Amino acid sequence: MLKPLSSDRWNYSTAAHLLNRAGFGGPPADIQNLADLGPAKAVASLLDYEAISDPTLNPDWAKPNPEEVLKYRDAIKNGTPEEKKKLQQEQQQTFQRRMLELRGWWLRRMTYGPRPFQEKMVLFWHGHFATSVDKVRNPYFMWRQNDLFRRLATDNWQNLLTQTGKDPAMLLWLDQAQSRKAHPNENFAREVMELFALGEGHYTEHDIAEAARALTGWSFEFQDQQYIYRPFIHDQGSKTFLGHTGNFDGDDVITIIVSQPQAARFITAKLWNYFAGQMPSEELNAALAANFRAHGNNFKPFLRDLFQSEEFYSDDIVRNQVKSPVQWLVGSVRVLECELPPPFVSWGMLRQLGQDLFAPPNVKGWDGGVTWITTNTLLTRYNDAQALVEGTVPPLAAGDFARKAGNGGGGKLEKALQRVRLGGVNVEKILTPAERADKTALVAALEHRLYQAALNSGQQQTLRDFLAAKTKLSNADIATTIRLMMSTPEYQVT
Amino acid sequence: MKNEILLHTRREFLRRTVLGSALSWTMPAFLADTFAALQTQAADSATQIVTGKDSPILVVLQMAGGNDGINTVVPYANDFYHRARPTLGLKLENILKLNDEVGLHGAMTGFKELYDAGQLSIVQGVGYPNPNRSHFRSTEIWQTASDADQIEKHGWIGRYFDAACAGADPAVGVTIGNQLPEAFFAAKPKGIVFNNPQNYRFMANGAATEESYKKLNELEMSSPLPDDNSGGSIGMLPAGMPMTGGRAVDFISRTALDAQQSSDEIRGIAARVQNQAQYPGSQLGNSLKLVAKLIGGGLPTRIYYVSQGGYDTHTNQLGSQQRLLGDLADSVKSFVADLKAQGNLQRVLVMTFSEFGRRVGENANGGTDHGAAAPMFIIGNKVKAGLLGQYPSLAPHDLFQGDIKYNVDFRSAYAAVLENWLKTKSAPILGRQFPLLPVV
Repeated sequence: MLKPLSSDRWNYSTAAHLLNRAGFGGPPADIQNLADLGPAKAVASLLDYEAISDPTLNPDWAKPNPEEVLKYRDAIKNGTPEEKKKLQQEQQQTFQRRMLELRGWWLRRMTYGPRPFQEKMVLFWHGHFATSVDKVRNPYFMWRQNDLFRRLATDNWQNLLTQTGKDPAMLLWLDQAQSRKAHPNENFAREVMELFALGEGHYTEHDIAEAARALTGWSFEFQDQQYIYRPFIHDQGSKTFLGHTGNFDGDDVITIIVSQPQAARFITAKLWNYFAGQMPSEELNAALAANFRAHGNNFKPFLRDLFQSEEFYSDDIVRNQVKSPVQWLVGSVRVLECELPPPFVSWGMLRQLGQDLFAPPNVKGWDGGVTWITTNTLLTRYNDAQALVEGTVPPLAAGDFARKAGNGGGGKLEKALQRVRLGGVNVEKILTPAERADKTALVAALEHRLYQAALNSGQQQTLRDFLAAKTKLSNADIATTIRLMMSTPEYQVT
Repeated sequence: MKNEILLHTRREFLRRTVLGSALSWTMPAFLADTFAALQTQAADSATQIVTGKDSPILVVLQMAGGNDGINTVVPYANDFYHRARPTLGLKLENILKLNDEVGLHGAMTGFKELYDAGQLSIVQGVGYPNPNRSHFRSTEIWQTASDADQIEKHGWIGRYFDAACAGADPAVGVTIGNQLPEAFFAAKPKGIVFNNPQNYRFMANGAATEESYKKLNELEMSSPLPDDNSGGSIGMLPAGMPMTGGRAVDFISRTALDAQQSSDEIRGIAARVQNQAQYPGSQLGNSLKLVAKLIGGGLPTRIYYVSQGGYDTHTNQLGSQQRLLGDLADSVKSFVADLKAQGNLQRVLVMTFSEFGRRVGENANGGTDHGAAAPMFIIGNKVKAGLLGQYPSLAPHDLFQGDIKYNVDFRSAYAAVLENWLKTKSAPILGRQFPLLPVV
């Protein structure tokens, strides 16, 4: 049983913890709003996002385009080698441009969208299903999967797993589209159990082979760019899978998987890890799984209980999660109330920090936790903090982009990028005149905004010493102070 | 106050404790973990503890894109070769003969010299069962040393660090480039990445900012080491204590200190050490030039990782491969000369790999498509020089879907390098025992 959080524990700190974990954090006013609402309404204000209208427009290319598909196929079939090469290059450039746009589009939704919790769930599902554009190639499919995760973000587990299995990006990513009765491809059959729903040790190799047979027929319609069921490639024979026997198809496979008690344990442990920052104890995992099953394997009521549980606000959970690069970037822009860097900059930052959206490193997704932190990702975070605060393009991102654009490192483009000035932080917007005039008040206000907690006394002294050397505080000095406070181990956790 | 010791860097910590000091129970768990792991290894005589500056070094050189091995180590006397490659087949005048059957691509004079000097080992027909022709997936297989139908989330170098380098300096692995290769992915990630030492640092807008950054990132850990016989002794610590025992911020604080120390060190070396050979002005040449400096400067690195791209030669292969292989051979030759002048050649081994070779038959665009097996080059003073393994048959009936079949599993090369060069057991790292390729 999850213990409900007593309402007398609800305050600014717990509200901040909720916003940091169920969303991407925010400035003090946003946290205060949640604190004023009380726990149940605060959680509802994030989770019941259907009530909030979302006017975000989709990219104009985010739709099936059979004409484009056919035109490209015919030209490849009939064109001369030169024409083919030119066409392939054009397509590659189009795809690269669209991916950049898609990454920016999603980051803006996370940063400024009206439904942060929904986006936090989309990010969870992206990491969970870990589909990469490196293999899928077409940005339309990547957008479409992202959209699916958004529509079903807190839906029913069986429905989400089935729809994801039939999603074009997944059909291509794990080769299900190529599976035939005569040669069942086991890739999706294996990963749906190992990585998505059960975990290793809860099925046999024979279960994989049988599931692969049952899943034949789930296919991909090339021209319409969508899922299609093809009965003539489906294996109609009897299968024995996880102790059940019958003429199963793909939907049956998912139904049987989700009905395993282990399925609830597996996905609730992953969700707890994502939101709480560590794997649950066996006892807690049992409680989480029981809750999830009692709610009919529906995510929304389960997560509502999770975010209102005593356990979620315990001392070893609060401020003990390493921020993912996305959490770091989006959260920083939100607490600094500054502009999200343009897509090529934010993309470069995230790549350098180890979380290239739409391109997870492999089918297992990002390891997360302390693996986000290495000596160079840490230094990169510290230097990216300077770029965010001062509105510059970080050298690593500039170099990365210049190379991608076909310009050697140190080239003209890279140098030009280093001269670009973006918004940066407006200290007069986020600090009162009184806070900007008083050095102690300044440090306190920034601690409140950046960590919702205090630094240790040695660090506070260092900041006071840094400020004491300035006779009159300029906005630039304050910006440097902010950058320094972001260049601490404490800022990397939430 | 003799025990009031502030441990500012991991190396300082190791220096003190390896000398036999005891460990305080108040020490953060991640430090204890480091320590316990070192203890475990010390007990295992087959494993070399990574500490000294005289230890062997491996340089992994990735030829990205899938190098056409058949036009690299050329079976020039084979009729099937010339039949399959009417336009791409290299003529005798563009071949550096190694024996009556095979020769190196004419651009690789640097490698021919190394070969003649007994410093180059050519492993023929390297690959793996059920080869995959996707760049993405095949690179992943080489980087993680997994079977083709298994997914490993950690890389083979990362697993080496996890198994044999706990507690090592963060610079135990250095990648010259932009991103950490998948080979370095680990349970406890180590290794640093940069292409320019100037970028691997805290960029400050003034001395006061820099000084404040250093102070803000000082370790808040002033617990004194107890007297040698008080508290728990080293041996009492359980091995493999989870790093997550401490709070996340403790781990980050330690990493922050490592970052400070290693960035100062690397920039210091880059500024201080001079190269003693001329290198090509290419990206690979510059990378190896930097690696030579870091080796010369005594960085305690076990594995360096450099890469050269452009081998995906679907069209107009002749010119581009000529340029790439020439650059490869010249850069490595310069690197060897530089190390020799430094007196460090004895401790360095270079190993090349590419995610796959290319199809035997040429395509219609003057290029070749994705294939399977290809040669690996291993360079150093202590290699078993010459041609190793069998050249795979090019006879059409011996091919699989147009590709030559591998004779040597690449993991045999990894196993040999791990055991005979890095002096560590390979089975825990590669998942099982592969036969050791007699190369080092």
